[in-house]
Amino acid sequence: MNNTFNMNRFGLLLRRQWLDFGKIYLISLAVVLGIIVGFYGYNIPSPLKNNNFDYDGNLDMRFRYPLLLMLGFIFISIVASSYFNILGQKSRAILELMTPASVLEKFLVGVFYTGIISLFSYLLIFYIADLGFSKYLNSELAMFGNSSPKGGSIKEVETISFQIFHDENYRSYCSYFFAIPFLITSIFLLGSIYFNRFHFIKTALSVMVFTGMASYVVFKVSEQLTKNMTSINHTLESNEKENVLLILLAVTSLLTLIFWLITYVRLKEKEV
Amino acid sequence: MIKINNLNFGYSKHKPLFKNMSMQLSNGHIYGLLGKNGAGKSSLLKNLAGLVYAQSGTLEVMGFNPAKRQPALLEQICFIPEEFYLPSVKIDAYVRANAPFYKNFDHQYFGNLLKEFDIPVSQKLINMSYGQKKKVIIAFGLATQAKLIIMDEPTNGLDIPSKAQFRKIMASAMTEDRCIIISTHQVRDLDNLIDTVIMLDENDVALKASVQEITEKLTFKKVKEIDDSIIYAEPSLSGYNAVMPNYHHEESKLDMELLFNAILAEKVKFKPLFN
Repeated sequence: MNNTFNMNRFGLLLRRQWLDFGKIYLISLAVVLGIIVGFYGYNIPSPLKNNNFDYDGNLDMRFRYPLLLMLGFIFISIVASSYFNILGQKSRAILELMTPASVLEKFLVGVFYTGIISLFSYLLIFYIADLGFSKYLNSELAMFGNSSPKGGSIKEVETISFQIFHDENYRSYCSYFFAIPFLITSIFLLGSIYFNRFHFIKTALSVMVFTGMASYVVFKVSEQLTKNMTSINHTLESNEKENVLLILLAVTSLLTLIFWLITYVRLKEKEV
Repeated sequence: MIKINNLNFGYSKHKPLFKNMSMQLSNGHIYGLLGKNGAGKSSLLKNLAGLVYAQSGTLEVMGFNPAKRQPALLEQICFIPEEFYLPSVKIDAYVRANAPFYKNFDHQYFGNLLKEFDIPVSQKLINMSYGQKKKVIIAFGLATQAKLIIMDEPTNGLDIPSKAQFRKIMASAMTEDRCIIISTHQVRDLDNLIDTVIMLDENDVALKASVQEITEKLTFKKVKEIDDSIIYAEPSLSGYNAVMPNYHHEESKLDMELLFNAILAEKVKFKPLFN
């Protein structure tokens, strides 16, 4: 018997965790869908409103981006911070730790539900809601008059996914931020096993304190290094920008892996 | 089956619970683990199950180190804790999700145990009483066919008929390749069930002896007056319940409660008898 990883056991564990995790997860997804629909319903352009167009003369759908990012952050971080919180309760921790599966399998199932399922189900829900409202608006374009404020006919509303996937520059730019959602879930997953109670608040507070301290240190170090120096105007070249974004991708990916590794070690060392 | 060598364990370094504890437990026995509150009964069981880690010393269960929590060992351990959790599902859903982890799980035996315990199978686990839930996890644990069965206060919450059923089921579950360890305060619940007594006191094993060995070496009697031959006595309505050395090979029934109190009160006097 392979005591480290077995695909059959991994599958069984996925199914078993769904028994506990699934119902509440589906309810949370329904709540998220409700929030998205509520936001869209309140913010989408309507003939009853005065200002329905953005600077470019298109129907104003700019509220979608902060909604996608903020709600996504809240949803994936809450899901991740609640995954291992059962290990803080003695009776549930015994049941979990005594289940005949390896620590690696238990950890990977955690990563699967928090890093993959939560993220992709959120994106899917958002995509469906966005597509529905975009289609609705496009079918009712005539309500907004014959021409846009910038002249010409009113353009159809594009879904967010269309905007990202059909614009090479945008797509390439977004790809540098690919690891950030995984970084968020890895931090909150670690918080869920590190703290015994109030996982979300304690993790969020820790991240804020750490980020604040790190920013202060970076600021102070930069200040010392550039003391008595003259600032010169320097605009970043295209390849320099790309390098910065590449470093961002590398650092966020590396941090994600580090947080996952620490979570694995904590799970291995978990005692009841 | 279980080898404990110089086990040192405690929840804080300054307050050890076990100091250099050594013991061996073998299959084919039902061990009764007794001790005062805080003596470390549950902690010893958790050490055996790999739920806590020893500070030093070695612990071997069926050739495995339980601290590694390897699936091959976990599927051979049935751990029934005092406080337990069951999800809000029906029994069949619970079994469908958990039984496949145990390759020897006996569905028919599980069904029989549920019938014997009179469990309403169509009811959700969360809506069951504490005693019913306990019976479900005992039935599930036994049906896994695990070789090591660890039970922490299994009779807590069981009604009087269920305690009798429990004793009957545990006696029938005993096989030559199984080792059953039951920790309890309710010593009368284990009457006629356990064959070896393990008593914990003062960071170590105060007594580990089979019931047969105990009754060969000690006799448990009701006496009118106390004399020098009595090691320990407790007043009762008709005189005293006494423990004394069994010099004349008399047959007597082990009074576990009396033995427990006697060992705690007169440990020094008992030590030479049980080496």
